[in-house]
Parts: sequence; C-alpha cells; structure tokens
Amino acid sequence: MAMNPTNGCSLHIADLSDYLDTGTSPDAAHIENCPQCHARLAGLRSLSAAAHELMDDDVASATSDAGWLDGILASLRLETRAGRPIPLQGGPDDELTETEGAVIALVRSVGDSLGGVLIGRCRLEGEVSVPGAPVEVRIHVSARYGYPLPTLAQQLREAVWAQLLVHTELNVMAVHVAFTDLRPPLDEAFAQESEDFGESGRSGGPAGLGEDSE
Amino acid sequence: MEQQQDLPHKLADASDALLAERAGDGDVASFDMLARRYGPLMRAYARRLVRSYDEADDVVQDALFTAWRDIAALQDGSAVKSWLMRIVSRRAVDTGRRRKTHSNLEDQSETADREPTPEQLAVAGSARRALEKALTRLPEEQRRCWVLKEYGGLSYTEIAEELGISITSVRGRLARSRITLVQEMEEWR
Repeated sequence: MAMNPTNGCSLHIADLSDYLDTGTSPDAAHIENCPQCHARLAGLRSLSAAAHELMDDDVASATSDAGWLDGILASLRLETRAGRPIPLQGGPDDELTETEGAVIALVRSVGDSLGGVLIGRCRLEGEVSVPGAPVEVRIHVSARYGYPLPTLAQQLREAVWAQLLVHTELNVMAVHVAFTDLRPPLDEAFAQESEDFGESGRSGGPAGLGEDSE
Repeated sequence: MEQQQDLPHKLADASDALLAERAGDGDVASFDMLARRYGPLMRAYARRLVRSYDEADDVVQDALFTAWRDIAALQDGSAVKSWLMRIVSRRAVDTGRRRKTHSNLEDQSETADREPTPEQLAVAGSARRALEKALTRLPEEQRRCWVLKEYGGLSYTEIAEELGISITSVRGRLARSRITLVQEMEEWR
C-alpha cells in the first residue's frame, strides 16, 4: 500500500503532513526525489480535498433545518451585564442607581443611530460609583467608507454627551472616539452578503486606525 | 430614543472583532450575529465529535452559553471563530467523557448510528462519501484528533491540551488516522 513506507523510504507520514502544512521540511530534498513520498503526498492531498468537501456538506446540512439556532438562542436567555452601579439622586430616603451596562448600552444606541457609525467597545473610566467624580468615556467606532471622520467624531461626541447629560448624572470630562475599523460602502454585493452572512466572517480592520478626542 | 432600523444590516456587515467587543459589552444582538455566522460550522463540528445529532445540539447550546459568559474576557476579538471552535471541542470532549463513565460501550460502536445509508453511498462513489464512511470506522480517539485538526483548525498543542494527551500522541494518532483514511479512500475508488 502506498501509505506504508517500504523499500528504503523511512519518512513518516507525520513528516509528510507537516511538509504539506508548512511547505518546508528538513527532508525536502528527499521528498522531491522519492516516488513513494510523491504517492503518499498525493494521497494526503486528496484526503485534504475530500475533508473540505465533507465539511462544506456538513455545514450545509447543519443549516438545513432553519430555525434550530433561533431555538437555541431563545433558550439561552442571555443575562445582561450589569457592571458597576452608578448613583442617581433620589429623594432623601431613596437609594437610586443605574448600571454601567445600561449606560454603555445607551452610548451604543446613540452612536448606532448616526449614519455610518457602529459602536464597538465602550469604557467608562473613573469612579463612576462616586457622585460627581470625573469620568471619561472611551468609544471604539467602526465607520463606513465615505463619511468624513472628523465630522463623524464630532457628531458622535456631541450626541453621546447630550444623552449622557439627560439620562445620567455622570460628570463627563471627555468623550474619546477612536476609529478602529472601516467598513466598505453599502452596495449590491453587501445586500446579497447580508442574506448569506453564515458563510464566513470578516477579519477585523486595522486596529488603531485613528484617534480623535477632545 | 431614535430606533435604528438598519442595525441588523450594520451588524451583518461588521467585523468579528467589533461584534466580539460589542457582545463583551453586553450587546445581545451582536452575539446573535456571531452565533448566526458560526453556528452552522459549530454544529457541523459537534456532529462529527459526538455520537448523535441531539447530543451535538446540546454541545452547541452549552458552547454558546459559555461563549456569552466569557466573551468579555476574549482578548483578540478577530480570533472569535477559533475561540468558539475550541469551546465546542471542549464541550464535546466532556460529553464523551461523561458518557464513558456511565457506560462501557466500546469506542467503535459509538459511531454506529452515523454510518451512511446504502442510498447515500450510492449517490456518488465520490471521495467525500468514501471519507465519510472511513471516518465512521476510525477508532474514536483517532477520529477526534482528526476532526479537531481538520474541522476545528486546532494546532497539535491545542489538541493535546483539549484531550489531555501528549503532543507526540497527537502526532501519532493523526498520522494513523490519515494512513487509514487515505487507504480506505483508495480502496473505494
């Protein structure tokens, strides 16, 4: 059988797999000239090709009963992330707080409503649990191509600041906006892609694309 | 507050890293989007790692629950796919261990219910079908290594950690599984 080395070729199948994975091997010179190694490499290549086909099939059949994931996600009943308690002024006998998680969700919602903006990580820096303590807000933002970033940053800062003023009693000293990701413009390709987003993920954009703070 | 009608579209378009950041901050919609992006792959993977489809769905559910709990601690959001796959591996391996402590079934019999039907085999004498059949006959310890490597994309070191065996054993099991699989595929042809 071709997979079992005989007649002088003692190279192990694991070495050939490594060679296939990395493209290099201390035995490269031998492999180049060994008919048995060639045959075994061909076997490994067709195994790898068949494995890809099988996996594609498996993924397709894993998607065939639409709704299975909805069931699982619904059953998870994901807990919300509270974070630190942030005090609010109540009556004399009240102890009123809102959670850090709720404030971050507010920032996300304000930012997402601006055209071209998608909010990433948001951090409240400072002693948010101490009334009046200075707090700085740091926001990661993904912007769509075509929006002028300085204008976008300014709009975002103003909108976030205004809503924090209405909904919290935080003493906001600064809102820092960092564009960490850019998304391509909306077009037909995207419209199609959005219906088929199970296929493959996109890798993150360049980190630290630009920072703009006030 | 103004509602954003195009939010789902924006999220569909978002990078893994951004979705992971948002999910880490508690955004359920972003987590759902990640689950939709990788859920089918997680399920396909789990189905090859455990004994039945029901068990696979339990594994995916557990894995997603764990992922939601721990995603805030994920350092590199762009690696969320391989992170999810590792969680599935761990859950699937745990399931196998639990099952073993409850019964003394032989490894070989565990895959019996996944043998392709004669109809399936008749569909095509393709390499893929041959592989599927050969895979079900592989000893479970070898099959697991192979699936962790080929479907999960785990490194030798990661596989060794997940299975609690040495890297040398991982290399050995992978080599044996590949020899067997290639031979069986060639015989099928």
